[in-house]
Amino acid sequence: MTKGEDAEHLNDIVAKYPEVPRLIILKTDVQRRGVFYTDAAVSVLDEKKHSITGTHIFGTRDGKIAPRPESLLLRDGTSIITTPTAIEDNPYVVDLLDGQPFLYDGGEPIEEVDYWPAPAFYGKLARSGILMQKIVSARPQRLVINPHRYCTFWKNGNGCTFCDIVAQIKKGKKDLQIQARPKAEEIAEIVAEALKEPGRYSAIFLTSGSVINGTEPFDEEIDIYIEVFQELGKLFRTKKFPSQIIGTAYSEAQLERLYRQTGLMSYTADIEVLNEDLFNIHCPGKAEWIGYKEWKRRLVKAVDIFGRGFVNTGLVAGIELTSPHGFKTEDEALKKTLEEAEDLASQGVSTVYIVWSPRPDTVIGNQKNASLDYYIRLAKGLHELRVTYKLPIMFDDYRHCGNHPDTDLSRLLPF
Amino acid sequence: MPLTFQPIIRELLDDTGTTKIVATTTEDGSPYAVTSPFLHLNHDGFFVHLELLETSITNRNLLRDLWFDRKAAINLTGKDGRSFLVKGVPVKAIISGPVFSEYYNKVQQALGDSDLSTVWLIKPVEIINETYSERKIEEESQYPFSVHLDRLVN
Repeated sequence: MTKGEDAEHLNDIVAKYPEVPRLIILKTDVQRRGVFYTDAAVSVLDEKKHSITGTHIFGTRDGKIAPRPESLLLRDGTSIITTPTAIEDNPYVVDLLDGQPFLYDGGEPIEEVDYWPAPAFYGKLARSGILMQKIVSARPQRLVINPHRYCTFWKNGNGCTFCDIVAQIKKGKKDLQIQARPKAEEIAEIVAEALKEPGRYSAIFLTSGSVINGTEPFDEEIDIYIEVFQELGKLFRTKKFPSQIIGTAYSEAQLERLYRQTGLMSYTADIEVLNEDLFNIHCPGKAEWIGYKEWKRRLVKAVDIFGRGFVNTGLVAGIELTSPHGFKTEDEALKKTLEEAEDLASQGVSTVYIVWSPRPDTVIGNQKNASLDYYIRLAKGLHELRVTYKLPIMFDDYRHCGNHPDTDLSRLLPF
Repeated sequence: MPLTFQPIIRELLDDTGTTKIVATTTEDGSPYAVTSPFLHLNHDGFFVHLELLETSITNRNLLRDLWFDRKAAINLTGKDGRSFLVKGVPVKAIISGPVFSEYYNKVQQALGDSDLSTVWLIKPVEIINETYSERKIEEESQYPFSVHLDRLVN
């Protein structure tokens, strides 16, 4: 497909779905195709003003580690969390227009963007001497902590097919001096510094790789979260504070322990793909240690503990269409995915998606993601399930995550 | 914005006695109007509306306006009766960064423990003078049949 055809495709989809905001369609397409930053776009990067790539838990599409904008903000406050992509792969281009960063396609200016603003704590040193942003990073309204960057599913080669967490930590160790397991006290020290900036954060987010160790599998993973949360809890006057983890699917006893012993308010366990056969193929570690049906059962049980509107699961949308095992058509993929998402929604579990970004250090990194039309239909479908089942999603919305086109649509939900 | 109006608009916005209203419409077209105590013009000529509540109906309506190129309305009425209606398009929702931080601090200084959801920039596209004393003269000169006769009796 040529650049011109892609630009036309965007306008076609905007015309086809007048009920979906153009900005959300554009965001989705930028995530789908990636971005390339021109030298001019990179030249205006200022580490005092802008968040610059640094602590990604996952890799980039072009396989490089280099200073570039961490991500982009659109005029509606929506983030485009995207990854630098080689120009040969036909991404959107970020260039300057009258000094303002602008998205271009086929040489035409499409939409103004802002680089994510840099938090005040970036550039400061923790007591240990490490740069604070090596331990804690920030989105426009969220603090991001990766308390454990290794995923033990990879020990026997059962990591997810779309994931490069282990490859990235190896690169990160070498190129960025990122720790695989930062100390809880140091995390809390940095968060305390971050919170001195008024109005900057409305949630704290933790995610790690899965850790199978423990008396019961994943006990150690929970211990890590609890340790960090208990240190963070000392910073707040309320027992609970706006926060989210993306963790493994835990047993009821583990979920109870996590909820009761910490200030955690919301819980996400990403099932990645809503089909048992594809789950077994793309998430062999999750299949080996928990299993598809049990994963879903645990999500539903989590609603009893965290409450409706505080539990969800994420999809890496597009992997369900990869060959040779995936659905043969987008219509079939959409139908099957939404059927299973509705089953979860009817039991209080929201489903959100990210646009799958094929990355080089992954098993399926040489395949293509889905069409823009598919991603927009999926966003609409997941949003409509939240309308039908009156499921709030504020903890994972544009403000608290920014990576889900479907929850962008849910900004207009009246609950 | 017509330059002739700008000083008056700024004057009204700067006067603490001015009533400042932001009016929007819901998805089905129902009107929704609220006071906007922090409303002002920025240096670029955009109206700045500070939305304190993330889930307010106005916040959602402004987002819908931005997404689908619809207009909102602003009414400014001074203590002396001068009144202007401004139609505008919400063009930017600022939720982070130095501009947001500046307003977040201002809101807290003004209201104490309070929050700020969004800094809305509204681009004015039309300004209508609704000052009654001026509209009355205009009405009576252009539409003589709009006048009740008892007002014309000797």
